[in-house]
Amino acid sequence: VKTDLLQGTLDLLILRALILQPDHGVGITRRIHQITKGTFDVKPGSLFPALHRLEEKGWLASQWGESENRRRAKYYKLTTAGRRQIDTELANWQRVSAAMAWAIKATS
Amino acid sequence: MSLLRSLARNVFRHRRLELDLDEEVRSHFELLVEQQMASGMDEASARRATRLELGGADQVKEAVRDARRGASLEQVWLDLRHGARALWQAKAWTAVMVGSLALGIGANTALFSATNGLLFRKLPVSDPDTLVRFRSAGPNQMRTDVLFYGYTGPDAQGRQVEPTFSYPMYLQFVADNRTMSGLFACAPFGSPNVIGTPVRVNNVPVTIVGVLPPEFTGVEQVVGEAPDVSLPIALEPQFNQPQFNFLESRLDRPNWWWLEVGGRLKPGVSAAQVQGSLTGVFQQTARAGFDSFLSSLSQKERSRESLQDRTLVADLQVDSASRGIYDVNTTDVRAISVLTAVVALVLLLVCANVANLLLSRATAREKEVSVRLAPGATRARLIRQLLTESLLLAGVGGTLGILVARWGQQLLPGAAAHASPLDWRVLAFVITVTTLTGIVFGIAPALRATRADVNFALKANSQSIAAARSPLGRFPVVVQVAISVVLLIGAGLFLRTLQNLRQVDLGFNPRNVTLFQVRPALNRYEPKKQNLLYDQIGERLRTIAGVRSVAWSDPRLMSPRRFSTGIFIQGRVYSPGQRDTISSMGVSPMFFETMEMTIVAGRGLTSRDTEHSPPVVVINEAAARKYFPNESPIGRRIGSTLENSGRLEIVGILRDAKYNSVRDAALPTRYTPFSQSVHDNASFEVRSSGDPLTVIAGIRNAVRLVDPNVPLIDMRTQLDEVERRLVQEKVFAQAYTLFGGLALLVASVGLFGLMSYSVARRTNEIGIRMALGAQRQDVVRLVMRESMILVAAGIVIGVGGATSASRLVSTLLFGLAPTDATTMAGAMTVMVLVAGLAGYVPARRASGIDPIAALRYE
Repeated sequence: VKTDLLQGTLDLLILRALILQPDHGVGITRRIHQITKGTFDVKPGSLFPALHRLEEKGWLASQWGESENRRRAKYYKLTTAGRRQIDTELANWQRVSAAMAWAIKATS
Repeated sequence: MSLLRSLARNVFRHRRLELDLDEEVRSHFELLVEQQMASGMDEASARRATRLELGGADQVKEAVRDARRGASLEQVWLDLRHGARALWQAKAWTAVMVGSLALGIGANTALFSATNGLLFRKLPVSDPDTLVRFRSAGPNQMRTDVLFYGYTGPDAQGRQVEPTFSYPMYLQFVADNRTMSGLFACAPFGSPNVIGTPVRVNNVPVTIVGVLPPEFTGVEQVVGEAPDVSLPIALEPQFNQPQFNFLESRLDRPNWWWLEVGGRLKPGVSAAQVQGSLTGVFQQTARAGFDSFLSSLSQKERSRESLQDRTLVADLQVDSASRGIYDVNTTDVRAISVLTAVVALVLLLVCANVANLLLSRATAREKEVSVRLAPGATRARLIRQLLTESLLLAGVGGTLGILVARWGQQLLPGAAAHASPLDWRVLAFVITVTTLTGIVFGIAPALRATRADVNFALKANSQSIAAARSPLGRFPVVVQVAISVVLLIGAGLFLRTLQNLRQVDLGFNPRNVTLFQVRPALNRYEPKKQNLLYDQIGERLRTIAGVRSVAWSDPRLMSPRRFSTGIFIQGRVYSPGQRDTISSMGVSPMFFETMEMTIVAGRGLTSRDTEHSPPVVVINEAAARKYFPNESPIGRRIGSTLENSGRLEIVGILRDAKYNSVRDAALPTRYTPFSQSVHDNASFEVRSSGDPLTVIAGIRNAVRLVDPNVPLIDMRTQLDEVERRLVQEKVFAQAYTLFGGLALLVASVGLFGLMSYSVARRTNEIGIRMALGAQRQDVVRLVMRESMILVAAGIVIGVGGATSASRLVSTLLFGLAPTDATTMAGAMTVMVLVAGLAGYVPARRASGIDPIAALRYE
């Protein structure tokens, strides 16, 4: 199942995808696909603007590197500020999802 | 990354970023292909699948660009660059646009800054609103000698308002002051000549104790020329020039009113309270001053008719001096308002021109707009682009406008010319007006264009677009023609006024006469020695080669100064208080001969009329007509007071000559021998046989040989002195001619553009007409009729406007009415001729259209 991403969730997903190690765009897409159990498939048209935005905010840093197959690729990694931001984003998300859960219960 | 750093990176390292992004997207694509191939696809289908998934590299990049910080800033930069490029491509269009903007902005800024300075600005001192000025209002007999500066006319109640007081009175104000925190008195000390070193003023050694800021030009008027030196009033005795045989100081004389007095209010006190508190003091001091003057006189002097029955005393008037002690000179106000009308018209013209230019450009760009809309440019984006262009034009026009304004200020007449710095609020206002015009007329067509159906506009030929444009396009041309006509009529009226004034018979010959003034009193010459000095200078001047004759007088002919005195005719009966006046001039022997003035009866004044010979006088015909209507004045005696009415014997009558105004009829004037009265200066008149310029060096040398310390003041030709009286008329004529010519040019260009466009649009129609047998002249007539209808409409509006405004300038004209038919006809002829030419060129081109080609055209 492929679902359009809810506004704001993409940032959190990207940050989460990079928690273990730096990765390039294709790797990040793959990782998000994995950690959401195939629910979200991020298109480049959304991924790249988000990556550049997060970099400008100082949560990601980028660097050119080589892929597994010796191909030049741009690698993104979490900065210290980025790691802190994950907590903030998580708290936000939890508040939103709790609210959504209540809302759904209330109407059903 | 900090906000600023990312902004700087995005805006300034734009190219690097773009390359980086490009590579990133490409490598992403390759990685995806690899991933597809790893899952078993062959390369070709892997690439196809990836391309599908990626969905257009350019869209991805555009999305990234939009996400970047400063994206809007970058667009502004791009818009600016695009705008500058577009303007550069249309060089002629841009030049006309920027030129007219600079002219309109500059002229208006210069003039309204001056108006603002003259009429609204306050003195550049702290808290100018607490300053008050003192004046006396109503009939006043408590003074015998009075000096006025600034405005002395009637106030709102019609009472004579006078601005000066005596020094003892000022001291009394200070003593009795309860309402003001400070009082000051000031008086202009003639022309403040600095002689010798900077610390010797009129040969009196003084120490400079302070320097005033340049914007402070004194308390008299907000705009004006700042005096070079300001001196304490207590030094007056040392600077007082020996005048009229009085060598003592004016400070001690209670009957001499010569000081301007003002003060600063204490907090919470009004000018009316000051007036209430000091009116009694003023009137008592005035009476006491006059009484003490009377008691200082001898019995005989006291019994003079002119000193009898003096009872009336003026009221004290205290009002705000926040804008200085002087009221604005009425001629300056009039001059400024006439010029304001001109530049306001110019501003209107510029706006019409801006509108016209933008409309024509918008039409030309409708296709460009459609082309840009087609691949998905948004309306907002396009409108922003056009807005940027308008603002860019306004910016360039405004910058040049500041230069024009600085230059234009030098051309203003009177007090407005000096000082009054450019007013930035005025500049902002004018730029706003022109920019708003630019926005309205730049955006309106853009809105219409962007609303248009893209396909329709792309497919349509110019005809369909043009049809929508016409009414908007014609309006500015009609306005321009109307304004041109108004300005041309103004130019005609003032040029003819100037011409009439120059042809006026002055009663003397101003050609080939060089003037200069000496003021030996500044060098501490005593009155008796002054006459000797004048004789010596005159003697020397006569020896210069090319000099035909030499004379001197006080004042000179056509100077701004005028002396007048009482005239009492011996043997006549005068009722108490009755006093006639006559203009007066002191002249040396040979004066009438030098100035080529004609004696019509009796004799002129000669070197035999000395200070020791019987006092004599020559009067002019105007005086003879007025005071001796049915008798011969020769041999009769007159005087300036009743007591000495037998003093001067009339020995001759002079043909009327103008005194100090070209415009006014010759004033009744008396001419007395220079040596028989006291003068503190003399103006020399040197008639040369050829060009006055050839004798100037000789004159300087001659005076230096007599006394090297006596400076020559105001050296110029008599013709120049006459022209100086016409400065205002000249400025009007220049302004109207200059702007009228420009308006004519702008209107013609507008008309030419409109008609050329109209002809291009109607190529088809004209081709058909010609194919059906219309002759060339029929086509010319057809096109000319269209343009002449516009011109006629403009002329009707313009003449109507000029006629209804004619009342305002009627007093400024000379020798013709403001609705002068010749001038009106002339202006209309010029307009029709120039507009005809502007319309004829496109008409001519239309008549040359080849019917076959025209029918194929689009």
